[in-house]
Amino acid sequence: MIRFLLSSVLLIFLVSCTPALTRGLVEFPPTKATIFNPYFSNDSQDYIYKAKIDVYGRYFGGILVIKKTGDETHRVVFTTEFGSKIFDFEYEGHTFTKNFVVPDLDKKIIVNTLKKDFKILIQEQMFVVSQLEDSGVAIYKTASKKRSNYYFFGLNNTLQKIIHASSSKEKVVFLFQDVSKSVANKITINHHNIKLDIVLDYFKK
Amino acid sequence: MRNILVSLVFVFTSFFLLAQDVAMSATEMVAFQKQVKTTSQAAKTIQSDFVQYKHLDFLDNDIETFGSLQFKAPGLVRWEYTRPYQYTVIFKEDKLLVNDGGTKSDIDIGSSKMFKKLNELIVNSVKGELFNDDDFTVTYLKIQGANKAIFIPKDKKIAGYIASFELLFDKKDGAVTEVKMIEPSLDYTRIVFSNRTLNKTIDDSIFTQ
Repeated sequence: MIRFLLSSVLLIFLVSCTPALTRGLVEFPPTKATIFNPYFSNDSQDYIYKAKIDVYGRYFGGILVIKKTGDETHRVVFTTEFGSKIFDFEYEGHTFTKNFVVPDLDKKIIVNTLKKDFKILIQEQMFVVSQLEDSGVAIYKTASKKRSNYYFFGLNNTLQKIIHASSSKEKVVFLFQDVSKSVANKITINHHNIKLDIVLDYFKK
Repeated sequence: MRNILVSLVFVFTSFFLLAQDVAMSATEMVAFQKQVKTTSQAAKTIQSDFVQYKHLDFLDNDIETFGSLQFKAPGLVRWEYTRPYQYTVIFKEDKLLVNDGGTKSDIDIGSSKMFKKLNELIVNSVKGELFNDDDFTVTYLKIQGANKAIFIPKDKKIAGYIASFELLFDKKDGAVTEVKMIEPSLDYTRIVFSNRTLNKTIDDSIFTQ
């Protein structure tokens, strides 16, 4: 009886240590060493999105601008519809520079959250730790400090989703929809641990 | 020899460029201010289209957005983007009423001095009424085909957002044709107005959400 209880507890513990979306799936050694996120990788393209942000029930909109400015460099700038800058970040390899943040938003917790979100969004090449498979969707697990990122590649090897997770919980879900010519026309970023949702719509001329 | 020629061309070009922006004389300034004031006071309503160019130095192209504005004296403004997305903001007393593609929100600007100032700037620049403002150092220039007023904020907090504010006025009728907001980083937003219609009746209901 005790043995049964112990093994049940152990089983529950092990199951609860895997994020829900990968639960029940079997991990196996990766078929490739690295994977590629194509969505912000073209340095001759200006990536301009209309953004809608909902943070703890407070809503605000703006324009998100992402540009690959060098081999390992990206600029991420958020402005209001009128054009005034809200924040201006620069990523160069592992170096992060905060060029500008409006004083009202310049709080460590806000800047760190945005910094991490956009780092995941623009990171082009990742080393695969292990691989999973779920009805035709290839899932690659990559390491990111104590947490992991899961990259979901569907039909035609299209990146559909990234899940940023701890060992037991999904923290942030990035969803790429309406993809054409390596541009995701709609991107949603949903946080599960804080009330922050971002919806991005690509500018169409 | 080639170097001398290059230098000469450079010197002449600089003169030519400098000649484009000439400071107004005291009499010209008075005449210009009077013209703008008359135009502004005569405008009970204004309707206009605009193109907004957002310039960021690292981008290949400026970000272009298109829309229209409606103004009704003394201080109602409806500012609407129609392309590439729908976004409307109504300036009404101490509030901004926003409709972002169907998502509606209110922003209370009454509590923020800076927001109030920025709001005032936008409403006043639509009217072309920015003169004798204690909050700005103003320079008046004559440029080809237009008059130009440059406003530099004295308040340090506002200067942290906007390095200067430039307005272009039609030489003939003193109406605002262009607004440029230059950030401390020298990136800027330039708004060019077109199809301006004066004093056509505008119903108050368009200034509600």
